[in-house]
Amino acid sequence: MEIPSFPIAIMMVASTADSRIKRTYALAEAKRVSRLLKQEDKETIMKIAENFKWKLRLIPPQHNLLNYHFALDFTDYIKNAAIMQDKKWKLSNRLLSKGEVFLTKVEVCRLLEEEVRRYIEQKLQVKVKSLSPSMTNHINRLKQIFYEKRGKTSWEDIPSEVIIVAYPPCIKKLHETISSGRHISHIGRFTLTTFLINIGMSTENVVDLFRSFADFNERMTRYQVEHLAGLKGSRTKYISPKCDTLRTHGVCLGMDDICRRVRHPLAYYRKKLITLKTEAPVASGHD
Amino acid sequence: MRRGMIKIETKAFIQAKFSEYYKKNVSIQPPSSIEKREFGFLLLKERIMLRHKSFKTAEELRNSLKRLVPSNVYYSSAYYERPEEKMEEKGWLGADLVFDIDADHIPTPCAKKHDTWTCTSCKTTGNGTRPEKCPTCNEQKFEEKAWPCEVCLGSAKEEIIKLIDILTKDFGLSAKEMSLGFSGHRGYHLHVESKEISMLDSICRKEIVDYIVGMGLEPQLHGLSGIDGPNLDDYGWKGRLARGTYEYLLTTTPEQLEKIGLRKRNIQDLSEHKERILKSWKYKGPWAMVKGVSLEGWSKIAEQAVKKQAAKIDTVVTTDTHRLIRLTNTLHGKTGLKKTETPITAIEDFDPLESAVAFPNGTAIIFVSEAPEFKIGNQFYGPYKNKKVELPMAAALFLLCKGAAEIAEERSNVR
Repeated sequence: MEIPSFPIAIMMVASTADSRIKRTYALAEAKRVSRLLKQEDKETIMKIAENFKWKLRLIPPQHNLLNYHFALDFTDYIKNAAIMQDKKWKLSNRLLSKGEVFLTKVEVCRLLEEEVRRYIEQKLQVKVKSLSPSMTNHINRLKQIFYEKRGKTSWEDIPSEVIIVAYPPCIKKLHETISSGRHISHIGRFTLTTFLINIGMSTENVVDLFRSFADFNERMTRYQVEHLAGLKGSRTKYISPKCDTLRTHGVCLGMDDICRRVRHPLAYYRKKLITLKTEAPVASGHD
Repeated sequence: MRRGMIKIETKAFIQAKFSEYYKKNVSIQPPSSIEKREFGFLLLKERIMLRHKSFKTAEELRNSLKRLVPSNVYYSSAYYERPEEKMEEKGWLGADLVFDIDADHIPTPCAKKHDTWTCTSCKTTGNGTRPEKCPTCNEQKFEEKAWPCEVCLGSAKEEIIKLIDILTKDFGLSAKEMSLGFSGHRGYHLHVESKEISMLDSICRKEIVDYIVGMGLEPQLHGLSGIDGPNLDDYGWKGRLARGTYEYLLTTTPEQLEKIGLRKRNIQDLSEHKERILKSWKYKGPWAMVKGVSLEGWSKIAEQAVKKQAAKIDTVVTTDTHRLIRLTNTLHGKTGLKKTETPITAIEDFDPLESAVAFPNGTAIIFVSEAPEFKIGNQFYGPYKNKKVELPMAAALFLLCKGAAEIAEERSNVR
């Protein structure tokens, strides 16, 4: 029954048109595959990897290569490892030689799990046209159950006014720099603008921040800010880059206590707001 | 002097020379898959950027260059279905992997003494990298002028050589997949064309960047344990860590060791046993040899080793999958030099300021307001201050493009 049930499950999940349900489903399927994979021998793993067009190679045991049994092309590696949080998956912490990353069997299984997850998520991108009423009812009931269990969370608990004291250190620095009219890098401008838009600052106030620049062009700045806010062009509202990316580009200043517990400047802001609420009345507003 | 203040005669002269260059140089080669690339031109006259241009053939591109006479010519590292459309409608098909190493971003032995800054409010000027605040009026806005010098470019070259080593040995790229060029101003570009790599998104490219700069690198995950550590001939960052540590311990001073936070006892031991430590690399390395240097101590040294071995690339350029890159053999508007390619294997002996000369004939008489000593071709010129001089065309044009001189008269030009 497993094989025909898979396309039906895909169709049902896709028709919920809910990205969280899709993600949850893809992850669950991938985890199941991963569990099964771990019991397979190396040759079977090779075949499955081949199926995903991985350039994977079995390597003979060598004394200087520890427990590594596989070598994987670095492009296949980073496609699947780039989103993993543990430091050991970072390419800069891997043994990389002549374009190949050396891996244990367990690690290959974990990477395949990610490949499967991405594969299923991509399958779930299809738009399902009309379904029979009974099917639709069924799907709605499943949706209901999902929401009851998980609740509906989003950035909604961010207050409408802008609380400067809750800015993370990187944003604070960017804000100070820009306010004094000093030059900031393109990535710095992007980070600051998207951060402010996402915590609810009006585009008007964001545009004002750039006024002190010698080369300020109101029309241009307004267009760019509105573009990032999703009001122009592609209509996508941009989110500020995550901490990891800010570190790469030298925007991160080093970490304070809250930084160590979050991976995104917006998460910092939310966390800090909570601690501020419990501590004392807050100085607020943006002039 | 600000660019915008260049006299009309000087502007017209630069325009005429650039025009002459693009009329003569019918050999400008387009990038691969020309029809899938976006082109951008910064126009000399109007100083505006024309973007979203596309060409089917090299001939079309060359004709446009002749007609428009841009001060700078760029093409996209990305391939698009419809390069002439707006960004969101172009249809991204992939992008070459691009590296930029610029003297602006790296510390150089010349300390950039040739660069100048001017406070925009009180007009105080100074040399070197600009200060945080103006020493006279405390304002924080400056105009800066950067000059390419042999020393700066030498430092950039060292970084490029490190980068090539990492890309070849660790990433397994072949010389055929890489092309290398001097930008015509202060840096080098390295361009990788490979089908697999072209499909990588910005997040994946960030992983490549982090590898090259050693970001997030944990020495312990490369075998550093306090009693053991990597060997000089190990692969990947393992070997680089060992070689960086060797290099660091060979050249460091007790003061520097103190600065990175090593304990007094450790510093004493490391200095006293320097000879033995350096010899220890023939066997198992110094990791267990120096008593009292803990894992924490070795980690601090390893951090310095990473700095020595990493290549200082511009992280933004490489992670951007829509970047515009200067086209080879076109002129740089700030210098009048051309972007010049050199084979990867010839980088050691490559002389950027000699190879990039685009105007080998004729001379011009110019009035120089201020210029440090500089090199163009195989000759040094300057420094000049408020001086009328007759210079070979490439040197004269360099100062004119830099906004450091005005044209007085053109002479014996071979047309």
